[in-house]
Amino acid sequence: MDHKLTEVSQLFERFKAAGMREDVDTCSDLLSKLKVMLTGFRSLPPLFEDTPNAVHELTLARDIYEHAVLLSVKIGDQDAFERDFFQLKPYYTDASSRLPPSSQEYMILGLNLLRLLVQNRIAEFHTELELLSPAALENPCIKHAVELEQSFMEGAYNRVLSAKQTVPYKTYDYFMDLLAKTVRDEIAGCSEKAYDYLSISDASRMLLFSSDDELFQYIKEEHPEWEIKNGLVIFQKAKESAPCKEIPSLQLINQTLSYARELERIV
Amino acid sequence: MTEDVEMKELPAPSNSTTTTSPSTLNHLKEIASLIETGAYAREVRRIVRAVRLTMALRRKLKAQVLSAFLNFALTPGSEPHNRLVSYLPKEDVHEMECDTASSVSQTPMKHPLPELEIYCYLLVLIYLIDQKKYNEAKACSSASVARLKNVNRRTVDVLASRLYFYYSLSYELTGDLAEIRGNLLALHRIATLRHDELGQETLLNLLLRNYLHYNLYDQAEKLRSKAPRFEAHSNQQFCRYLFYLGKIRTIQLEYTDAKESLLQAARKAPVAALGFRVQCNKWAIIVRLLLGEIPERTVFMQKGMENALKPYFELTNAVRIGDLELFKSVAEKFSTIFSSDRTHNLIVRLRHNVIRTGLRNISISYSRISLADVAKKLRLDSANPVADAESIVAKAIRDGAIDATLDHANGWMVSKETGDIYSTNEPQIAFNSRIAFCLNMHNEAVRALRFPPNSHKEKESAEKRRERQQQEQELAKHIAEEDDDEF
Repeated sequence: MDHKLTEVSQLFERFKAAGMREDVDTCSDLLSKLKVMLTGFRSLPPLFEDTPNAVHELTLARDIYEHAVLLSVKIGDQDAFERDFFQLKPYYTDASSRLPPSSQEYMILGLNLLRLLVQNRIAEFHTELELLSPAALENPCIKHAVELEQSFMEGAYNRVLSAKQTVPYKTYDYFMDLLAKTVRDEIAGCSEKAYDYLSISDASRMLLFSSDDELFQYIKEEHPEWEIKNGLVIFQKAKESAPCKEIPSLQLINQTLSYARELERIV
Repeated sequence: MTEDVEMKELPAPSNSTTTTSPSTLNHLKEIASLIETGAYAREVRRIVRAVRLTMALRRKLKAQVLSAFLNFALTPGSEPHNRLVSYLPKEDVHEMECDTASSVSQTPMKHPLPELEIYCYLLVLIYLIDQKKYNEAKACSSASVARLKNVNRRTVDVLASRLYFYYSLSYELTGDLAEIRGNLLALHRIATLRHDELGQETLLNLLLRNYLHYNLYDQAEKLRSKAPRFEAHSNQQFCRYLFYLGKIRTIQLEYTDAKESLLQAARKAPVAALGFRVQCNKWAIIVRLLLGEIPERTVFMQKGMENALKPYFELTNAVRIGDLELFKSVAEKFSTIFSSDRTHNLIVRLRHNVIRTGLRNISISYSRISLADVAKKLRLDSANPVADAESIVAKAIRDGAIDATLDHANGWMVSKETGDIYSTNEPQIAFNSRIAFCLNMHNEAVRALRFPPNSHKEKESAEKRRERQQQEQELAKHIAEEDDDEF
């Protein structure tokens, strides 16, 4: 085994050890060092050169990026997640013919789908979904995300929230918590339009608050236009579109003139 | 797409070989002379005609005829000649070898035109694909594409774009599309540098097809949005482009735009391209369903499409009724068809529309209904159907799908009276947009009428023409000013 490769694997072992100790700062430091070292290998994407150690190097690099993605979830850095995920993706797609499949693959793909859902990037969510084979869609991690999206689109929000109990991995919790926040905003937006009023206890239950004070706090910050009166939350109704009383004469004249001109051109 | 349809194998009548082959050869020779004059006069029009005539001859092509034609068009013994002959089946060539020697001596051609050489590649390639000799076709097309990179003549462009098409087709037929992606990108770059618009158009479509074959919608969209666009040169290519565009937009949830592209592609496609139109219709139906529209029955009754569209017809029916159980059973019944059409994921998205339609029906029929009944009618099968129904109804209200309010304390939904639409400005606005559409269509049609240059004013000199154009411009300006004055 050549010397560069051993160096990287040793560093990676230290990274993993730091990860076990929950030492996030050391992890980040080591990770950036590892990433720089990975650029020295010519067998990795985008070059994909056929070096003697290619399979070994590719597997190691894939492992490192998988850990990087998980680390970014741990520290809650969504931008880092996106970056690391895109670096990892070629190992799943373009290098799939040379490597044995990774056991983490579906878990990470599912995480990415969840991230897109949380960030409300539904178009990208579906683009990613198209890339998966029918077999992959049956995987519990992927299925979880797909069902979440469906319930989300339908408006069955309590199904979204109950899905939190059935997460396939603990790493999903971070995004599920974020999703709960998105769901709360959605529910608030829907209730505003659908109800004339709600009792305070009902409202705080629907918006998933444990106490009424939290509800008042939320209303103050997000929806100051809601009114609280006699133990009811009263939503302001948008004004109905009033029937048209007067004839918009100027607009009509303009339109009629333009028709006349066009007709003249035809005849 | 016409080519795709034409590919049906016709059993060649064996007894007529002797009678047809000389005439086919003569036809080919005529086409060759057409290409020659086109190349010398730099008239692309003639080459287009030559290609069209070739397509008519396609079924009559035989190895014998081809090798005779190769001997006629290219110098025997020269490098392209040797290469092309090697792709043809051996035994047929031997037969011809003896008597072609004489014909060559009659028509000595020292420097064959590049156009003619490329044309020979095209002929051999078409023959190989029709004979299902895909591996030879791959080799031949790769060689021709390598040759094309070194030819920079505008008269070759038409032939080149055809070659690109068959190049991609031969790789697609053996399932190796991913291999040529880099090459296609390089060719597209070359075509852009040479201002070969037809080539760009063809190659862009081939690249999109290549990406979509592997479901790489992201890459396809990035390429499409960055590639230069110009007025379409070929109707077929434009149809294909619209179809791919429609597919990309469907995946990215831009249904309104997707519908427009797909319907336009289906309408513009030539009548002969049945397979293409069926595909367009399938996608258009799903997109319209996703938009909440119900396609008319006539869409499914189009000639030659009834059987292919049947699964989609039943699907539409389920969505129209708003019955989740029926929808599920239809989706399961035709799941193999849907996954081979690669529309399975889109159909999963439709579930949401089924619920919406069902909800709309309920909201129209009842002025007040309990949420428990809504859940029962929608057949929501979940742990807590009433709470589900409540949030689903709330979302439908927010999205404007139904006009109603919820009463949480009593647990029912109250539909609002629909107001009289004719008391608002709505009808007038709709009427105006339709008139504007018609007038615009008329103007576009007038503008699209093209006349060949110089057909009626042969003797008009350059000076006179300039004078006339100036007059016309002034007149146009005058009219425009007059228009402004009216406001």
